[in-house]
Amino acid sequence: MAEAGRYDAIVAGAGHNGLTTACYLARAGLKTLVVERSDRVGGAAVSRELNPGWTYSNCSYVCSLLRPEIVRDLDLPAHGLQVIPYQGGASFTREGDCFAYYSDHHALTREIARHAPRDVEGYERFSRAVMRQCRFIRPLLLRTPPDPASARPRDAAELLFLLRRFNDLGAREMGEAIRFWTMSIGDYLDEFFESGLIKAHLAGSGIIGTGLGVYSPGTAYVLLHHYMGEVDGAVGAWGFARGGMGAVSRALAGAFEALGGEIRTDAPVERFLVEDGRVAGVVIEGGDEYRAPIVASNMDVKRTFLRHVDPEELPDDFLAGVRRFQIRGSSGKINISLDGMPRFPAVPEDSPVLSGDLHVSESLAEIEGAFDDWKAGRWSAKPYLDMLIPSRIDPTMAPAGKHMMTLFIQYAPYDLEKGGTRSPDNWDDAARQAFADTVFDRIEAVAPGFRDLIVHAEVRSPADLEREVGLTEGNIFQGELTFEQLLFNRPVPGWAQYRSPVRGLYLVGSSAHPGGGVMGAPGANAAREILSDARRLRRDARAFRAA
Amino acid sequence: MALDQGSRIETVVIGAGHNGLVAAAALAGQGARVTVLEQADAPGGMMAAGHLIWNLHPAAMEALGTEAQALGLDGPALPTTALDPGGRHVVIEGDDARLAGGEPHPQAAVYRTLCERFRRFAGVLAPLTLGPPPRLGEGWLTGPGLAELRGLGRLGLDIRRLGRREMQEFLRVAYSNVADVLLAEMPDGPLAASLAFDGVLGARMGPRSPGTVLTLLYRHLGGSGRRRPEGGMATLARRMAEAAEARGASIRYGARASGLLIAGDRVLGVGVEGQESIPAHAVFSSLGAGPTLALAGVEHFDAEVCRRVRNLRAEGVTARLDLTLSDMPRIEGLDARHTQGRLLLAPSVAAMEASFDPVKYGRMPDAPAVEALVEPVEGGARLSALIQPVPNAPGGGWSDGARGAAIETVVALIDRALPGLADTVTGAALDTPSDIEARTAAPGGHWHHGEFAVDQMLMLRPVNGMGHYRTGLPGLWLCGAGAHPGGDVTGLPGRNAALAALAEGVRR
Repeated sequence: MAEAGRYDAIVAGAGHNGLTTACYLARAGLKTLVVERSDRVGGAAVSRELNPGWTYSNCSYVCSLLRPEIVRDLDLPAHGLQVIPYQGGASFTREGDCFAYYSDHHALTREIARHAPRDVEGYERFSRAVMRQCRFIRPLLLRTPPDPASARPRDAAELLFLLRRFNDLGAREMGEAIRFWTMSIGDYLDEFFESGLIKAHLAGSGIIGTGLGVYSPGTAYVLLHHYMGEVDGAVGAWGFARGGMGAVSRALAGAFEALGGEIRTDAPVERFLVEDGRVAGVVIEGGDEYRAPIVASNMDVKRTFLRHVDPEELPDDFLAGVRRFQIRGSSGKINISLDGMPRFPAVPEDSPVLSGDLHVSESLAEIEGAFDDWKAGRWSAKPYLDMLIPSRIDPTMAPAGKHMMTLFIQYAPYDLEKGGTRSPDNWDDAARQAFADTVFDRIEAVAPGFRDLIVHAEVRSPADLEREVGLTEGNIFQGELTFEQLLFNRPVPGWAQYRSPVRGLYLVGSSAHPGGGVMGAPGANAAREILSDARRLRRDARAFRAA
Repeated sequence: MALDQGSRIETVVIGAGHNGLVAAAALAGQGARVTVLEQADAPGGMMAAGHLIWNLHPAAMEALGTEAQALGLDGPALPTTALDPGGRHVVIEGDDARLAGGEPHPQAAVYRTLCERFRRFAGVLAPLTLGPPPRLGEGWLTGPGLAELRGLGRLGLDIRRLGRREMQEFLRVAYSNVADVLLAEMPDGPLAASLAFDGVLGARMGPRSPGTVLTLLYRHLGGSGRRRPEGGMATLARRMAEAAEARGASIRYGARASGLLIAGDRVLGVGVEGQESIPAHAVFSSLGAGPTLALAGVEHFDAEVCRRVRNLRAEGVTARLDLTLSDMPRIEGLDARHTQGRLLLAPSVAAMEASFDPVKYGRMPDAPAVEALVEPVEGGARLSALIQPVPNAPGGGWSDGARGAAIETVVALIDRALPGLADTVTGAALDTPSDIEARTAAPGGHWHHGEFAVDQMLMLRPVNGMGHYRTGLPGLWLCGAGAHPGGDVTGLPGRNAALAALAEGVRR
């Protein structure tokens, strides 16, 4: 092993959270190195040109959750980040109709009334209710969750703060908050809406990326993970980063390098170096060794501790907790180069809703059925699709007159069933093709002629996402967003404050509170915790070296 | 709760189910004059939908002024045999699991640890079930506010007293699903399924539905000893009714409440179908929230509350099948005591989850879980089976065809575990959720008058804005399974409602 360099801090993995942590550490004056397995920064937030002329945002595909505090702190617009808001969205039916979700309030009201007059009032109540929950939760995202089992004043004070905030809601709203946090998205929407199509349109946000169905309790809250974002102060708006999601990563990397940080790509971590119970650095495949008293892992919790840390260094109950942590792959991804704009007969060619999220699910029962397929190890026969055509709002994504489409498909299993056995190895080219055909058939039904426009398609199963991006089971949230894996339980009870049993080794990815989405909150929160420990850790490391 | 306070009060309790009877006894015990109206000719109501008692609470028996022995509940707890399709049946007695052949079950130690843990966790939650749910967000620095704070403080302390490790585990699993929690500790099979069954029985949930651990804990509040009441559920109901009468309550059978007399926005009495109406200062309804509102007339309630009640989730998916058999069935490798114990046909957690899928779309599953009891009677035997889950209304309703098909499915299922049984069936009666609803007015025929889930629990039971047994209409109280703490034959909602009403002034 060759010692290749000494740093104050090393971040393993250049995903958006790793880079966020790295920026804050560098900003605080730490000499920081980021090591990245692949040949580019970004992790799951990358833009790639897989077909000449077309840019693919090939994993994450919307940008709204990225906390504005982080954008301001790191001055990301100066490093090229530009977020363009989406316009609306639509859910198409096979009968040739659709529910068009206009961002214009009056147009939306008319459209809702067309489907179910009573849902106009339902929608008003629904938006108010969800916004109230957003307002309650948003300020809490950038706080470290308290450990209720600890007696430290800091945890007690934070717990008291949360309880007081909760109490301030008053009896009725407290009840509403509990309901919202524990109900299924299906039951929740059933309380506001009559139209099955409108419910199906709104329900998607509750299940994207999760191994839960629309009628599984706890999915109403996941809705928040998609609604609590904001674009330029417009709460709940979705946006698209100009140049694809890679622009977010590039802006973060640019900010990091401007702060004096160093990034090494093609440097896969072989293991985290642990000496005398504390972290000492990372060993890169091939033998290079970088040393630092602080190491932050952007990998998910299973990958970090089950693959790259010697189990001898970890207490048994912590390991058991990591093994028990549920990271279920449930989504597939298809990126498509299109020869032209597909035509959806249900809306005019220039309809603004085509610049938003498009779906083809017609009822909650249909989405729940898609979930049942997944439980049995099959991809959904009628999957829920989140379909976007970013080239409509960002022409740089495709050649002139051509278009780029990104598809997020719920559900696709990680361990595909084939001939009675379930294994990720069952995802061969034939399976991928059959999966893509299922999806294309569904789109063709609402956009005749769609198939003929396909120039190139990149089809990725959860198994592919795991292999390419390093996400366990290809789960986009680095762990299910169920109650037993949130707040002080994320990822392991007692270890929810970004630290780990190995002193100086931190978890900064979405496996940590508050979880996934291109939000940056885990990374920023972890950086705060790291900096509060930093002085002591560096002093200890010096003392250790001297001894 | 002074006696003289109760003595001037005329009350009517609607429904002589277990909760109505306990409420009536508790009110009468405090000196109130109580009339119980029961539309059927016998007491019991929803009790007939089940066949075992495992958590009738001692506090409810106290309210009835009786005890387990007098109610015929002092027999030995029944052993459970989880039948295995491969013949490796699992016998469970208390926390002890072994194979029917006598050798220890490989997961016996894990099973014991899990049972002990669930009981410990249930113990922490138990105090919450013995009174009205906490009042939150109504100000702390008042007399009642401070009492609430004390109660919550005690709960927090109880949780902390579990110790750091167990407390973390409690906070992690409390709102989890039974499938993940069980399968993290033991392989899937009849033993794991026996616990998962406790998590879903009576609820419209599969073992993978978040919240099922909470149902499981609720079931284990009173320990896990299940008893067949002496003489059956009808006898138990009769004994409970006699106890309530001994307390001073008078019960009128065949008397159906037709409406409430309301003037000046308060309840003045109850109209009885075909009879003279009864004046009352307070009315306790053991009906579900929906039927109670309908009885009073929705115009007396807040529009938001009405909407919430309409949205209340109550879709029963548990049925009971009674079979008359010409011969006592035999199970290879099981002695008579175990054959006449509780038989569980649930081969695995995965199978239970799979059987829940079709139910979501109103279809009958091929292999629902079945809890069966067999007892010899003159000239043969009698079998009662709880079926979990069945669709609430297959294809829009339980037609004769749907009933026949369901009976056939379940008999075939039982026949596979008890070979030869199908040929001995001489009679079959299916009690579907819609039968339960028609007979007892339970919303959706749901065992608990409303799904037992966090969003319909504590102060949110039956709905937000109607917790604490109050309806918003002065003098009208809820005392059934739809109120806190919820369903099963615990008697606690009835008891708690009566005591809360007496403490707060029933006329308010």
